[in-house]
Amino acid sequence: MALTITCPVCGKRNGYEFRYGGEDKGPRPVEEGMTPRSWCDYVHMNACVAGVQKEWWCHKNGCGAWFTIHRNTLTNLEVEGVEVTS
Amino acid sequence: MFRRFKPLWGKKPGLKSTYDAVIIGGGLHSLATAYYLAKEQGMSNVAILEKNFIGFGGAGRNTAIVRANQRTQENVPLYKEALDLWPILTKELDYNLMFNNCGNLNLMHSEAAMNAARMNVCTAQFHGVESHLLDPRQIKELEPAINISPDITYPIHGAMFHPPGGVIRHDAVVWGLAKGAAAHGVHIHQQTEATAIHTDGGKITGVETHRGRINSPRVLVSAGGYSAGIINKMMGVKLPISVLTIQAMVTQPLKPVLHHVVSSGMYHAYANQTLKGEIATGAHMDQWPNYTTLTTAHYIKHQAEALSEFLPFLRGVKFMRHWAGLADMTPDMAPIMDGNDPVEGFYMNCGWGYFGFKSCTAAGRHMASFIAKGECPERLKPFGLRRYENHRLMGETAALVTYTPDN
Ligand SMILES: Cc1cc2nc3c(=O)[nH]c(=O)nc-3n(C[C@H](O)[C@H](O)[C@H](O)COP(=O)(O)OP(=O)(O)OC[C@H]3O[C@@H](n4cnc5c(N)ncnc54)[C@H](O)[C@@H]3O)c2cc1C
Ligand SMILES: [Zn+2]
Repeated sequence: MALTITCPVCGKRNGYEFRYGGEDKGPRPVEEGMTPRSWCDYVHMNACVAGVQKEWWCHKNGCGAWFTIHRNTLTNLEVEGVEVTS
Repeated sequence: MFRRFKPLWGKKPGLKSTYDAVIIGGGLHSLATAYYLAKEQGMSNVAILEKNFIGFGGAGRNTAIVRANQRTQENVPLYKEALDLWPILTKELDYNLMFNNCGNLNLMHSEAAMNAARMNVCTAQFHGVESHLLDPRQIKELEPAINISPDITYPIHGAMFHPPGGVIRHDAVVWGLAKGAAAHGVHIHQQTEATAIHTDGGKITGVETHRGRINSPRVLVSAGGYSAGIINKMMGVKLPISVLTIQAMVTQPLKPVLHHVVSSGMYHAYANQTLKGEIATGAHMDQWPNYTTLTTAHYIKHQAEALSEFLPFLRGVKFMRHWAGLADMTPDMAPIMDGNDPVEGFYMNCGWGYFGFKSCTAAGRHMASFIAKGECPERLKPFGLRRYENHRLMGETAALVTYTPDN
């Protein structure tokens, strides 16, 4: 469905200008003591939340900035200032 | 003609407190698994829990294309088995699945794509799946509606032709399998949502529903695009899946004009003419995960542009209906079928993306054996979840159109 995303630099724009960058999984795991499993978790595994999630976007056809937003995956609407619970 | 309406799958059963196996989701894979559990594995004390109605999900929304020309050694035999099952099931279920094996034509728009198709054809032939290459002249002879002019955005260099594939009536598969499963004693509970899965000491003990608790030592999550969310929420297991909305549409009905399933990765569109005369066409996916199943004007425009180039007879033809469903995409475009790891009695079958219709019968049959015997059948071994941490991703991304939020 149609989607708008708010870029911190350019403001609210048509979603097709952006590239989805994945669920926010926190910082990249430290190399020290890393196992194939922890790396796999970071690279491949998703929560697939049906609800609000924190996620990365890149303003690909715009200023090029990378940033996170909160979006409800059931409605495609951005949500401001929420705490993600799941 | 005016007899009273009676569901094919019998009277509404009461919800028992204990089953030998509970399946969450009422789609194709679930129904096929239940059918084979009861019919071939002697396990008929089985419940299917469906939140809405059977066929609500991808089962009732797909464009019903079947074929067996996948890319890799592990996948082709599974899809071939599924393709070979349609005529058998039509008899066995005593239900017309309307299998129209008109053949699939995959258009190639560059020499590089032709080389990839050549390898794909070799894999198919090695596994006894009929598939061969056509040049543009042969394409035109086979399907005169296709535009082979060099003067289009992506001129056609050739095609991969897979004669045994085609289309089937997807609703008939849902109803036929439900009828067959119910006749063998399976309980199909519609409007019954699973809300939690219970475990104790590393073993499955039951399922919570909004109608009450069910005890069972075995639970299969087979809920199409909803599976990954359910498995994370109820079992705390994350999967390498992105859930995308995928759209399809049909035109007004036309006289017979298109005789094969025609698809193009480059134009990102496929089309076939249904037995009713409509041109059913699809392929577009949202490039960001969502569960909306909403359609977009963006896609109508894309489809009109693409189709009027390579199937120019469609210029000016009106789209009549437009809908969407979910596709649960894995990074290697191959499904995840696994069980008893890490919890005994817990099984999953998901990640089918947009390949979950054509494969449902064979996958369901093997899952039934897995669940009844507790041991993974040979055919399913390569599809385990641990292949991702072992860096043993399958090469299915090389087959036809890849579409994930990762590309
Ligand atoms: C537009 C479109 C076109 C497609 N085209 C093709 C094609 O041409 N060929 C092909 O092979 N595949 C195609 N697919 C893919 C295919 O339809 C799916 O992969 C397949 O249907 C998914 O498996 P399923 O039928 O078992 O699940 P689904 O039918 O998706 O069933 C999932 C069910 O689970 C239920 N559910 C969800 N949560 C719960 C809960 N908590 N408790 C109980 N029930 C729950 C839902 O209500 C739903 O009915 C297409 C899909 C779409 C959307
Ligand atoms: Zn910007």
